Amino acid sequence: MLFNNIPYGIPSYVFSPKWFYGFDSIIELIAVIVSVLLVYYSYKCYKLTKENKYMYFSTAFLSITISFVAKIIGTLAIYRPTITRTAIGSTIHQTFTGITPYSINAIALIVHFFFMLLGFMILFLIISRLRWNNQRVIALLVYFVFIATWLSVVHYQLFYLTSFVLLSLITYSYYQNYVEIKSEKARFVTIAFGMILVSQAFFVFVIYSRIIYVLAELIQLLGFIYLLIPFILIFKKKPRLAK
Amino acid sequence: MRRGKIEIIADILKSIREKGGKIKPTHLLYKSNLSHAKLKEYANMLLEKGMIEERLVKDKKMFFMKEQGHKFLLEFERIKEFSDSFGL
Repeated sequence: MLFNNIPYGIPSYVFSPKWFYGFDSIIELIAVIVSVLLVYYSYKCYKLTKENKYMYFSTAFLSITISFVAKIIGTLAIYRPTITRTAIGSTIHQTFTGITPYSINAIALIVHFFFMLLGFMILFLIISRLRWNNQRVIALLVYFVFIATWLSVVHYQLFYLTSFVLLSLITYSYYQNYVEIKSEKARFVTIAFGMILVSQAFFVFVIYSRIIYVLAELIQLLGFIYLLIPFILIFKKKPRLAK
Repeated sequence: MRRGKIEIIADILKSIREKGGKIKPTHLLYKSNLSHAKLKEYANMLLEKGMIEERLVKDKKMFFMKEQGHKFLLEFERIKEFSDSFGL
């Protein structure tokens, strides 16, 4: 649904059918939990090894976490406008009188677009093993993220299309990684990104049918669950004592 | 490929583990693929950190793996698997 009430010239979107209100936030909360686990563990790896690749990976998932949190806030503002009647909500409301649930949704959407694209871009750079000292290329890619975010605000499909392109490249790289190392965990990671890729394809068409949004969210949930599996398998590993 | 400090420590500990948790310094020198001076430097560090211990067995010096060493190896193997699975 594209709301006509356009604050600051920014449109606000809600694609979920009414009966699905809140369920999508729960799905995104699960994605946040999985992302936070990856942020935490890769940062721990960085602290132990001092290898920058772990820091970049942590940053990529931190960006994805911020993106999902923004989406949760933005959609909850529409789903539960009564939030403005709570103590914190009314204080914010009185301080920023111009802020409506729609403007919160619109601003959150921009944050969601930008950080999601940035996260996928960093992930693409890591998995493609692009040289991080090539700062001109990185500056150009960050600019590309800005432009994509800007255009996505006007045509939301462009955001999902850009995510789809980035995720296609990421998934292909993960598939190559799986072919190379033939590990079960790498297979789960490839499937996970493959599912998130498919969910983005569904998201492109949400404007045509709300049920597509539900399907996209469910596929995205599966993707993040698959992303959690290799992580759990790694931690199930028991110490191999001396033979 | 050139090994980093952590990889060298892990290789030393793996060599000890593969030998049943104890190894002679000469075997360790051969298995770790390090110079005598470098091995001495790393062995001292591992002794200091409590990952291995030095004991005399039939008047011969031997290195024994300690609990801390097993913990380090487990963490190292987890990081390696995480790195491989996520294409890092």
